[in-house]
Formats: sequence, C-alpha cells, structure tokens
Amino acid sequence: MHIFIIEDEPLIRRELKILLENAMYQVTAADSFENISEQIKTNLPDLVLMDVNLPGISGFDICTQIRELTDIPVIFLTGRTDSMDELNGILKGGDDYITKPYQAPVLLARIAAVLKRTMAHNPKEATVFTKNGVTLDIPKCSLFYRQAKAELTKNEMKILHLLFLHEGEFVSRMELVEYLWENHIFIDDNTLSVHVTNIRKKLNSIGVSDFIETKRGMGYCI
Amino acid sequence: MKLTEFIKDKGMLLLLHIVCMYVLFVYLRLTDYNTSNIALILVFWLVLLAAWLLVTYRQRKKYFREMEQILEKTDRRYLLGELLPDSFRLEDRLYKEMIHRSNKSVIERIRQLEEEQEDYKEYIESWVHEIKAPITGISLVCENRRHVPAVFDDFKTISLENKKIENYVDMALYYARSKEVYKDYMIQKTSLKEVVCEVLDKNRLLLIQNRVQADISCKDMVYTDKKWIAFILNQLILNSVKYKKESPVFYIRTRRAEHGVFLTVEDNGTGIRPEELSRIFEKGFTGTNGRKEERSTGMGLYLCRRLCDKMGIGIYAESEYGRGTKMIVEFPVSNYISRD
Repeated sequence: MHIFIIEDEPLIRRELKILLENAMYQVTAADSFENISEQIKTNLPDLVLMDVNLPGISGFDICTQIRELTDIPVIFLTGRTDSMDELNGILKGGDDYITKPYQAPVLLARIAAVLKRTMAHNPKEATVFTKNGVTLDIPKCSLFYRQAKAELTKNEMKILHLLFLHEGEFVSRMELVEYLWENHIFIDDNTLSVHVTNIRKKLNSIGVSDFIETKRGMGYCI
Repeated sequence: MKLTEFIKDKGMLLLLHIVCMYVLFVYLRLTDYNTSNIALILVFWLVLLAAWLLVTYRQRKKYFREMEQILEKTDRRYLLGELLPDSFRLEDRLYKEMIHRSNKSVIERIRQLEEEQEDYKEYIESWVHEIKAPITGISLVCENRRHVPAVFDDFKTISLENKKIENYVDMALYYARSKEVYKDYMIQKTSLKEVVCEVLDKNRLLLIQNRVQADISCKDMVYTDKKWIAFILNQLILNSVKYKKESPVFYIRTRRAEHGVFLTVEDNGTGIRPEELSRIFEKGFTGTNGRKEERSTGMGLYLCRRLCDKMGIGIYAESEYGRGTKMIVEFPVSNYISRD
C-alpha cells in the first residue's frame, strides 16, 4: 500500500512517515506544494493524507484538483475543528477528516478503514494461529488442542491474539494493557493477571501446561 | 416625583414670590391703601401662583412618567437619548441634546469593545489551531519511540504532559466559542459508546498509568454534536482521574427514559463534600479537593455547564463524600424528533 503525504510542517511530515512505515505502508512525502497533482500522477498512491492549511494553497483546492484526475481516497488532517470545515472537506471529495492532534492508533485505524472501503482486494488478516499444537481460532473464539476445545471470553481472546502475534517474544504487561484499551477493553494491571490465570486454567483443562511463560519485569511469552 | 418634592424644588421661586408680596404689602401700607383690598390682591396672587404650580407639576409628572415607561420598555437603555419625548422647554431640549451626545459616545465605545473582543476571540481560535501543529508533532515523536526501551519512560512522561497541554488548549478554544455555540454545531445521530470509547482511548496512557478500570455499557444513541459531547465527557473523566482513590473504577452508562437519554459517569473516588456540591459548576470554584489534590482551575465543570446550557442538555452531580461521584448528563428527547 502506498500512501502519499502532503504536510507542510517538516517535523510532522517526518514523524508521520516513520509512523506509517512502521505500520508497513510505503510512504512518499511531498517536499514542495507546487504541481501536487503532477506529483500524484507520477506516484500513483493508494491513499493521500493531506493537511488543509498549506503555504499558498488550501488542501481543499488540491483535493478538487485530485478529484479531476482520479478517485484516489483522500484523508484530511487539520488543526481546525469547525463543523463547517469538516463539511467542506467532505463536500470537496474527502473520504475522511481527522483533527489534530490525532491519536496514532486512531489515525492508523481510519487509514485502514478508508483503504478497506476503497480497495477491491484487501489481504485478509490471519484468523487462525497455531503453536505447538495449540490452535487459537478467532472467529470461533476458542482454543483447540488435539480434540479438546476451550471457549474463550472476548478479553482472553484479545490477550492470546497479541501473544500469538508476537510469538517467541516477550510482551510486557503494559503493552498488553495498552493493546486491550485500544480494543476498548478498559481494564487495569491486576485484572490482566486474573485473565491470564483464567487462560492458564483453560489451557490446563484441555491438557496443555506451561504454554505461557512468565518472566518478572519482562511480561508474557508463548 | 411627589408634590412635596416638587414644591421643595421650587423653593427659590416661592421665596421670590413671598418677598415680592411682602414688598407690595409694605408699599401699599405706606400709601395708606385699604387693608381688605391688599388682602384681596394677595389672595388672588396666591391662587394664581398655586394654580400655575399645579399645572406645571402635572405637566412635568406626565413628561417624566413617559420617560420612565420608555426606559422600562426598551432593552437597551443607553438609547434613551434617541427616544426622549419632545418638549417645548428649552432645558429639556438642551438635556436631550446632551444625553444624545453622551449616548453616542457610549455606543461607540461599546462597538469598539465588541470589535476588540471579536478580534481577540478570532486570535485565540487561530492560535489554538496553530498550537495544535506542535502538539501533534510532539505526540507523533512520542508515539514513534514508545517501543524504544532506553527512552521509553521519558517519552511516556512527555506524552502525558503533552496531553495536559492539549486539554488546556481545548478548554481555551471551547471557552472562546461557548458564547456562539450555534455557529459551530453539527447535530448528528451520535453513538454515545463511540464517543465514550474515543475519549477513553485518547486518555489511554493517563488512565492506564493511574490503574483505572472502566466499565462501560452505552447502547443508546442521541442526536447531538459529537465534538462538544466528547469535550464535556473528557472533562468529566479527567476529573474522575484527578480525584481518584485506591483501585479506581469508572462506570459509564447510558439509560433511556421517557423524556431523554441519560449518560452517567460514576467513579469511586474521593467524592464531593455536600456543602460544596451545589457550587462545583461555578466559575473558578475549587473545592477542598481541588485545593488539596492537584492544581485545579475551577474552569472544567464551569465550561461543561455552560456548553450544556447552550445545547439544551442537562448536567448534574450526585456525590457521597468519601465514596464517589456520579455525574449525569441528560439529553432531552422531544417527541417529534425521536423517530427511532
């Protein structure tokens, strides 16, 4: 996925580029704001992130120019919070409108949402994970080991999901709690321990022991 | 205007008449004029004087009553100069002219102040938009380094402080706008759950650091402006964090009743003293908690109440001191817009 950034603030441009590259996107940032439509024509990105207040030109006008060329999705980023501005952005053909200062996870989620909406083919996220014979099936919300099955709660599943995503690495408790909050599960450190204990009990009940390793000060690992 | 006051006011004139009467009386006596005739002249004089005074009194009274009525009817009393009734008296006309001039200068001054205020407001708004760029820059820098072990904690601290700045900046913006909510108000069908999650998400770092648990159950939808509700909710949640106790839990719920939807934010924090409960929405009020705990500006809840008033939303507080606080936001539903 190729994202084109139009942002006049050098620091924000740089950091946004790092953020998106960390999220596995290919990123091009515009250095000059003349002939933006030419630059877009040559780069052919999948999505454009655009600041509204640019030196000499308004992002809304650029959006109108882009719309004359293609249907590339455009997300506006702006410090302005007026309802009128937001309306303007949508009317000019923007696909989303995000106000500064934005939350990185929220920004990424909204980029993903716009891409999903506009791309015909999107790579499916893995929904089944296996390690040492233990299978986490996300759609079924269950754990399988040989023929045995243990049903998981939503919270337990999210915890296991993150651990499976970081297979072989230690995931700190803090990272886990933050990940859960990002997924709208608002729990604290102690409750996390309770959930992990419950997961271990369930693993034991289907005949798996010592599946999750704990290390003091490091976190959990599978 | 009472008659006695009027007579007192005309004291000098009466004195002049009395002196004149006396002089005439002495002169006529010296010229051996008939005493009964003198008495007749003086009585006649007195009757004329009394009649003249009475008529003048009636006229003046009518004139001032008219003026008072004008003052009562108009909402801009400084416009009196324009509205004064016409009068044949020279004095009245002179006063009218002077009041007119004085009012004109007042109006000019008011206009000037209004313009200055508008200028200032516009500046604050543009300033807020400017400052959001560096705040965004800082938050992105922190976000990109949150997994680098060596600097992890420092960036977390910076990130938390940055969030505080962001909130103070937002407060300034909403304060500047609170007078003219209607100019920036977009009513949409809003999922309260979405707003609640957005606000909790925004304060994730702070809440996790304070070991907060949040239990939310918000199914209901309301018609309102999302941005303003998010701002209000943000203040309520920040307050709950500020005045927390051991193992804080926030219960955020919505409930649909006959006349509206209620959004409650309940915590198990320090609570508010009963004698202070009625004053928490006042501007600049910092209760015992506010002075004891962290710095409190006394602006957060004041702004909430102010915005709620402008949007026709109710906001109340219930609290048991030492047990917790429950903030209630009420979205009234009128019958003709609640189609679903």
